[in-house]
Parts: sequence; structure tokens; C-alpha cells
Amino acid sequence: MPSGTAAGPATLIPFAPDAPTLERALAILAQDGSVSPADAVRRREALALFAALPAPGARPRRGWRHDYDKLTFDDLVWTTGRRRQPAVGPSVTDPDDEPDLPALATENAGGLFHLGATLLEPDVPSAADSRVVVLPLGDASRPHPELVARTLYEIADWRADRFSALATAFENCGAFVYVPDGVVVDAPIQLVWANTAARNEAVFPHVLVVLGEGARATVIERHVGDGDPFICGVVEVHAGERAQLDYVTVQQAGEGARVFFRRTARCARDAEVRWNLAELGGALARTVLDTQLGAVGGRAETAALFFTTGFAHVDLTTGTEHVVGPTTSNTAVRSAANDRGQGRYVGNIVIRPHAHGSDATLRDDALLLSAHAHIDAVPALEIASNDVKAFHGATVGSLDEDALFYVSSRGIARSEALRMITLGFFEPVITRFPGEALRDEIRTALDAKIDAATETA
Amino acid sequence: MSARGLVTRDLRVAVQGNEILKGIDLTVEPGQVHALMGPNGSGKSTLAFTIAGHPGYDVTSGSVTLDGEELLGLAPDKRARAGVFLSFQYPAAIPGVSVANFLRSARQAVRSGDLSPAKFRQLVFEKLDTLDMDPAFLGRYVNDGFSGGEKKRLEMLQMAIIAPKYAILDETDSGLDVDALQAVGHAATSLRESEDGRNMGFLVITHYPRILRYLPADVVHVMIDGSIAKTGGPDLAERIEREGYDVIREEVATARA
Repeated sequence: MPSGTAAGPATLIPFAPDAPTLERALAILAQDGSVSPADAVRRREALALFAALPAPGARPRRGWRHDYDKLTFDDLVWTTGRRRQPAVGPSVTDPDDEPDLPALATENAGGLFHLGATLLEPDVPSAADSRVVVLPLGDASRPHPELVARTLYEIADWRADRFSALATAFENCGAFVYVPDGVVVDAPIQLVWANTAARNEAVFPHVLVVLGEGARATVIERHVGDGDPFICGVVEVHAGERAQLDYVTVQQAGEGARVFFRRTARCARDAEVRWNLAELGGALARTVLDTQLGAVGGRAETAALFFTTGFAHVDLTTGTEHVVGPTTSNTAVRSAANDRGQGRYVGNIVIRPHAHGSDATLRDDALLLSAHAHIDAVPALEIASNDVKAFHGATVGSLDEDALFYVSSRGIARSEALRMITLGFFEPVITRFPGEALRDEIRTALDAKIDAATETA
Repeated sequence: MSARGLVTRDLRVAVQGNEILKGIDLTVEPGQVHALMGPNGSGKSTLAFTIAGHPGYDVTSGSVTLDGEELLGLAPDKRARAGVFLSFQYPAAIPGVSVANFLRSARQAVRSGDLSPAKFRQLVFEKLDTLDMDPAFLGRYVNDGFSGGEKKRLEMLQMAIIAPKYAILDETDSGLDVDALQAVGHAATSLRESEDGRNMGFLVITHYPRILRYLPADVVHVMIDGSIAKTGGPDLAERIEREGYDVIREEVATARA
């Protein structure tokens, strides 16, 4: 049967992370023929794990507003993205039309656009660049059975934490990006999840990115819209020998959104994966970025930033494992919090016994813009090999009054000086994002957040 | 009009309850150069910061006016827009903000929208040339990782771009090698020769007469222990270099006795 092309009214069920809901979901998926017996087993097992595993991270500290054990799922609906809707009427990619969603970058090598979990087509061509494969994950095994079988869940460890398990149990949309050997794509591949206030969905994406030998590409994952969804996903990246991938996430979900992701990459010999993460939206965002350097010459670059305002809370963990050497990693994180915004950053570097000659750098700086804001920084280095270079440093500070006075003394109003210094603080991380258009987009988004923050100050 | 000038009257300033400035009367008229000399800790930088509006200094009495406009009570940015420029002794670094952006923002803030982008660019390159600065400077972050000399050149570049009514140079010449001093001197000289800077008044805080070769002082003041102990002509600066502050101190003490 032609899988995944059914159009028609989607079946919506109230979402709850429990067995009856999963069984209903499985029944809906079965109608599309898109769930194998093995899938069903894995989903049931994952749900059991979700219930059994503890909340991630250390015991919630005093003052943390969000306790992962107390997450509520009221008023959320689950639907399968396997039923698609043609994009109708005013395009949702047009910023002038309702719903008001940011436009995609004009130039891209392909992409997928979701409203909730539902794939909209055909506004964005499935592959503007014919050398690149960009498919809904559920459609990928038919044309690429061997590749998908070899890579799917190969490195995404859905047993790793309770939210990966939850994402696996209720997976309802996803993307497969394949850049074959030697193919170099300049324009970004865009994967967009939009949510509108009209419907609060529970969205469980699974993204699988495979780069062949010497392939180069940029993937941009975006979360936009003014809805308050619960998004919980997994991303797995296979970078083949000498491959280079920029994987960008721009998270600008609605103010009440909760966005949980675990993104994992593995680098083959001389491959390079660059994670670029901007957490700018949502009420609660939790991200894990894991990179495994399991072959000589592998390189992991991580540039992450977040800005929490209001009561928002960001929880970021990066993990880099140097399994063999020489391998290289460089992690830079910049975070700021205003109002009662909170953040936590845990940066782990593990250098295994055989990782001789490896080089790991981790740098984390946090800026507190109000007395009630709070950011914890927890860098951790575990080194089991000699002859390696490892550096980590972390700072948490408030705005430099001398700098504020200096800028003000040049005629620049205090609020403007604050904006200038705060934007400048993020700049070393922003400059690591690929492409000036994207960098400007991040600057503009930060600028708007600073605006909102100074208005309430 | 008598109100013209950068004028302090009976200015008293305390920091954490200690009186640092004990009644300062100064009048820097448009086009004039005043040198302010004095031993370390005498209150020269306090005067500079107070005029610029640093929040850490409590003015307990007196006034600071710029061409008749009272500056006390104004935020630092408003004072800058009124026409005051302070060249910092220790300029702060602004990581992530390029010199080019900073210059544009400062010019825009003080003289909103008076130059087209092309004209602004032309102005910046002219001033870079005067200061013997590499255009690559524009792409660097403000004072971030700058040498002492580079910081002072950037202060002078900002002064030249803003072209304020009055500039306070707080030890801009300290720690500079001969080349850097020359560049700083040329920047001030060429600004004074330009249309924009013809009527600029300068208050030059310094320990050395050498900067006064470029900015010949009309009036020299010596500040000791928070008061102006002596005021004289250019020869006073030379005398201080020869004889030191102690002689002045003794003279003042004798005169009071």
C-alpha cells in the first residue's frame, strides 16, 4: 500500500503518557500500516521505561519551579503525522498570513514543514536538491530499506533517559535526511515544527540524519509558533568518514511550550559534527546534545545559547565522549537569564583510556540580568588517558557596571547599552552558527527578547 | 554670555561618605585648553567621573553646567548628548561589540542621523588615518584584548567621531610610547583645526607637560587634596615638571599661614 500518503481528517486522541493511550495510538498507527510488530513492542517497552526511569539530572534544587516528576499533560492531543494535509489557502510559510509563523529561509536544499505532528505538503519541496533525500521518517524504509535498517535507533539510545523513552513510545512524526557519499550541499535542509494556539498537541518527532563519506550539509531544525505544545523528540546523526554536518536548532516555540530533545551524533573517521543550538522559546526546554567520537580524527563542535525570561526554564546538557584518539571537541555555551528565568547547564567531557592525543575544550559563560534570575553551571571532566589536552572553564556573572557606564558615557541610553552589552555577550557563540542570514536571525530574536525583558524591568 | 563653557561651581563630591572634592571652581570656555595636574589621589579622576555622571559619586553641593545647562541629575548618556566627552583612563571592554558598530551607535546617539552611511564611513576612515590606526581595528571588539596604547587611540577615535563640545582627557597620555602619544596629539590637533572642533573646550588631566605640546594649555590648574591649589599659565606645567608638587604644596601652606 502507498504508505503515508493518506489525506483526510486526522484522528485526534487526548494525550496521556499511559498504556491505554498508547494502545489507542497503536491502533491508529495500525490503520496506516505504519507500525510493525517490532515497533509496537519497542513502544510498549519504552513507555514502561518512561514510567520507571527517574527524572533527569540531579535532584531538583530548591527554587526550581519545574519538577519533571510533576509534568502535566492536560489538554494535549495526539495525532499521527502519517495522515497529511495539503497546505491550504494562505501559506503558513508566509509571515503576513495567519497563523503568524516565521518564513523559512528562502533558499533551501529541501525540507519538511509540520503543523503539530502533521506534515504539510507540498509547500516546501521534499528535496529541492535532487542529490539529497529528505523524507518523512515513516516513508524512508521503502526506498532505503537497507540504510534505514542499519541506522535507525543505532545511536539514539531511547533507553538513555525517560524523555527519550517517551518520545519513542509515542513517536508520531519525523524526518529522514540522507546526503550520499561525496555530495556537498550549500543551502540548508530545513525541518520545521510549527504550532498554533488553535490546538495544543503532543508532538514526538524522530529525526534521522545520515551523511555519506565526504558529504557536507547543514540541517536546520526549527520550532516556531504561538501554541503551547509538548514536544519531545530524538535526533540521531551518523556522520560518515570525512563528512561535515552543521546541525542547527532554533527553538522559538510559544511561551507555554515544553520542548524536550535528545540529539546524538556519531562521527566516523575524520568526520565533523557541529551542533548549533539556540533555545529562545518555551516555558521549559530540556536538551541533551551527545557526541561520540569513536574514530580517529573525529571532531565535535558545539555552540549553544539560551536566554530565559519570565518564568522560563532551560536545562541543557552536552556530552562529548572521546572514545579513541586523536579526536577533538570544542564546546562553547553562553546563557543569560532575566526576570525569574532559570537555567542549568551540565557539560560533560569523557576521555576514554584509548583516546591518546585528544583535545577537548569546554567553555561556559552565564549572565544574570536580574536578582531573581538563576543559572547553574556544572562542567565535568572525566579523563582516563594521559597525553591529552583538556580545558574547561565556567563563569556566572552579572552585567558589568563599568561597561554600562562606559557605553552610556557615549550618549547611548542605559536600556540600549544593556541591549548592546547583552547581545555582545552572545556574539562569540552566534559567530559559530553557519551563515550570516542565520546569525542575523538569532541576533534579531535575542534582540526581541531583550526588548521584552527591558520593558518589564 | 557668561554661562558659556563647562563650569563647575563649589563642587563637592563624596565617595562612601568621604569628601574627595572640596569645592571645585573651574570654567573651561569654548576653544580653551585647561590642564589639570596634581599628585595621585588628589581627586582629578573623581572630577572627571563626576562631570560624566558616574553613579558611584555623590555630589553633596555645587553645580556643573555646560553652556548654561545643569548637568547634575542627568544620566550619563544625556550628559554626553549635551556635549560632554570623557576619555577614560581605563576604558572598559565591550566583548562582542565591534568598534565599527560602537562608533556608529555613539555618533548616532549624540548627533542623531546627521550623516549618511557613506559620509560616516568616510569620516571614520579619515580619523583612522589621522590616528595611524589600521582599518582592521573596526572589526575588533571594543577594547577587548587591546593594548594600553590601542585603548587610548580608540578613545581619541571616539572623540574625533563624536566631536563633542567639551572633552575631558583623563590621563590619555599615560603609559603611551612616543608614537602613540604623537597619534593622540595629532587627533586632538586635527580635531581643533576642523569645522566641528574649532570651539571645543578641553580639560586635560595629566602628569606630564608633553601632551600639552599638542594641546597647548591656556590655563593650568594644580589640584591637591581635592582643591585647586594653584592656577596659572603654561609655565606652571613646566615648573611642576622641574620642581614637583611639594613646592606647590609648601607655597600654598605658606600663603595660608
